[in-house]
Amino acid sequence: MMVASVDFQTLSDAIGLGAIYALMAVGIGLVFGVLRLVNFAYGQLVMAGAYTLAFTSGWPVAGSILACFAVVVALSLAMERAVFRPLRGQSPAVMLVTTFAIAFVLQAIALIVDLRDNTIGEIASSAAPLNRSVSVGGVDVRKITIVAIAVAVVTLALLALLLTRTTIGLHTRAAASDFRTARLLGVRANRVIGFAALLSGVLAATVSVLLTVQAPFVSPDFALRDTIVVLVGVVVGGIDRLWTATLGGFTIGFASGVINGALPTDKTVYLPSAVFALVILVLLLRPAGLFAWGRHAAAERV
Amino acid sequence: MAEPALELDRLEVRYGPVTVVRELSLRVERGEIVGLIGPNGAGKSTTLHAIMGLLPVAAGEIRVAGVSVAGRSPESIARAGVALVPEGRRIFGDFTVEENLRLGLAGRRSANGGDPLAAAYELFPMLREFRRRSAGALSGGQQQQLAIGRAIVADPDLLLLDEPSLGLAPTAVDGVFGAFGAIRERGVTILLVEQRAQRTVALADRTHVLVGGLERMTLGPADVDDTDKIIAAYLAS
Amino acid sequence: MRSRIDSLVELAGPVALVVVVGLVATTVSRANEIYALNALVSVAIVVAIYVFVGTSGVLSFGQISFVAVGAFAAGIMTVPLESKRGVLTEIFPLLRDHTIGNLPSYLLAAAVGGVFAFVVGLPLMRLSGLAAGIATLAVLEITHNVLREWTSIGPGATTLALVPETVGPLQATVGAIIAILVAFGYQRSRPGRLLRATREDPAAARGVGVDVHRQRLLAFTLSGALAGFAGGLLVHLLGSITTEQVYLELTFLTLAMLVVGGLTSLWGAVVGALAVSGLDSFLSQAEQGIHVGLKIDLPSGTRLVILGALMTVVLVLRPSGLTGGREFGLPTRMRR
Repeated sequence: MMVASVDFQTLSDAIGLGAIYALMAVGIGLVFGVLRLVNFAYGQLVMAGAYTLAFTSGWPVAGSILACFAVVVALSLAMERAVFRPLRGQSPAVMLVTTFAIAFVLQAIALIVDLRDNTIGEIASSAAPLNRSVSVGGVDVRKITIVAIAVAVVTLALLALLLTRTTIGLHTRAAASDFRTARLLGVRANRVIGFAALLSGVLAATVSVLLTVQAPFVSPDFALRDTIVVLVGVVVGGIDRLWTATLGGFTIGFASGVINGALPTDKTVYLPSAVFALVILVLLLRPAGLFAWGRHAAAERV
Repeated sequence: MAEPALELDRLEVRYGPVTVVRELSLRVERGEIVGLIGPNGAGKSTTLHAIMGLLPVAAGEIRVAGVSVAGRSPESIARAGVALVPEGRRIFGDFTVEENLRLGLAGRRSANGGDPLAAAYELFPMLREFRRRSAGALSGGQQQQLAIGRAIVADPDLLLLDEPSLGLAPTAVDGVFGAFGAIRERGVTILLVEQRAQRTVALADRTHVLVGGLERMTLGPADVDDTDKIIAAYLAS
Repeated sequence: MRSRIDSLVELAGPVALVVVVGLVATTVSRANEIYALNALVSVAIVVAIYVFVGTSGVLSFGQISFVAVGAFAAGIMTVPLESKRGVLTEIFPLLRDHTIGNLPSYLLAAAVGGVFAFVVGLPLMRLSGLAAGIATLAVLEITHNVLREWTSIGPGATTLALVPETVGPLQATVGAIIAILVAFGYQRSRPGRLLRATREDPAAARGVGVDVHRQRLLAFTLSGALAGFAGGLLVHLLGSITTEQVYLELTFLTLAMLVVGGLTSLWGAVVGALAVSGLDSFLSQAEQGIHVGLKIDLPSGTRLVILGALMTVVLVLRPSGLTGGREFGLPTRMRR
């Protein structure tokens, strides 16, 4: 019986992946909180950011990253304004299919843009050196892993401060908890939703920077797989509250990283089945999410 | 004479295909406390929701201080000086008492100097004591006080209350009803929707009885002991 | 009796539309026939999905799993013995040494789809909302994974080819009509109406004692059987099948067809499938250059953009779908 081997490199890479997925989970959870909408096109935001980095890879690093943020945030706000706002209050099926249609459109546009020079995919890497390892206490850890974890921690901390210490943050949390009551107290619905879309975009841009360093080749389905995995993680963790969603994202990222690194390839063919069977099991036992508790765990969200 | 704080002119509100409020006309002058009582399903809550912009107006007019508010969003009506204390209190249980109060500031029109939460703490000293506690840990009566305090910090001209005594023990009800006098003294006009007919009739300057969406009768404090009259109003068809 | 005529009218609309498409398929050139046949098979798939999703209101991403097992079952069992022995060397002898006829293959497809759906549905039908969505997505992923890796039951990652292409205009039209009839029969039946009630007012339905789990399971199983049958149609149309053809892209395309047409009605399912299919075909042609009064010549790749963009616009402007979620009815009558 082969024993899976988990070395420190695998572990640290897994934590790094978990950190990135945690950021994506927050982006998805924020929009869900205020709009009750699962944004299937979230991965496309990350893709747009990656493409921006690719097209500006000749620029100085700071300028490139700034452009990335600008494009992604603009796209996120545009999505909110043009599509999410008119669809507020519709059935989950409609909102889901619409966000998927948007994802479809954006991916197809990327395909057209990309095909003009007869190759699919661009290289976006001015920060490739970060992919090399550095020795930490006698163990090899990739620099990008450290950067990813650091960026994630700082971002999440800033976000927590923003949500708990500012007025707009308070209003957003209230809107996510009970939109109707928040409105009748005077909370401006559009402002709060725009704020959530803004933050969601900033997070997506951050993720695209972190991902392109690790995998500099950008193609139209960049981050598509990741989005689905994060989505599963978010729902399994508990989409109702921001921190359970984040924890869910981190957990599934970490678990993916560990399993992928630990098991030899020939044993991993049925891995997806095992993982998804586990997902089903968790959802059957705790439909509101693994980490949900109290009144949230009791609710069967329809 | 100044415009009334609130005027409903043949208001009609529908809930899907059912007309819940019909031909309701009502005036509330500044500084008054007006009650609205009636059996379940009479349309009392619906009226408040329509005033607050939570439900669309099918016909008729709603004027706050002379200005029509029909068709405006709830948050813009809140910012126009109207505050609603909703049925069931609807406080944010995961937030602290202070955060709940701060949320009420969203409807405030101008930032006067000093602590904006002072008004709420003066009215209900308990709130200051518990301000860092989680709102979900408060008792029903305390939560009701919080809900009213939250509405007060918005410095409204018109305060709407939807069954504040619901689910409260009698002593808690005393605490809540006792605050209305103090609130009126601050210059706030009150429209009170209630199930407890007698307490409302005793307290309010005027109490309207709403049955089946129509206004049936107007009672004054003098009628508080006239139970026959009150019952007749409820049963009128 | 008015309601009887209303029922007939409700049924006649979708059936008539399908028959028209079938007739169109016989009149156009061979190259274009495939579009019409594709549209009809899409109708069968989308109607199958509608039977569950439209009636119960529970979003399922897993229905294509049943299309997949139906397609592979029908396909494997109808590939001629000689070819099967040569190509599918690793499959179980039971599968390798037998073939069945065309009609039995459809029955097999439906049976496999139905049984699979029943087994999956037993635990899953307790879930609602997002949990149900993710759980059924998980079923899709597991099905895809197993079909791709388990070479004892099928071709695995390779294409299953040499399946008899028996689906022409007749079989496609009949197949679509069968799906419509089954769906219509179900939604008019007592179980169908009970389930619809649970969607519209879950609390009230439970209050009068409707066993939600049981009704959902029934609809899910029926949907699975119908989807399996549609899978049979699919494999006999294409003459081949791969696991990627019955996976995420088809899942979203068919779900989008249903929502764009109108999630809550059979008419919506049929209209959505035909409209999106038709548009897709038109755009494919346009990418190659066509004359429709004026010459249209789209740059390649824009087809997908336009398709997605149009679907988005339809949903933003009319979230209840092209049919508004209503059944087909004559204009003079008042519909609910």
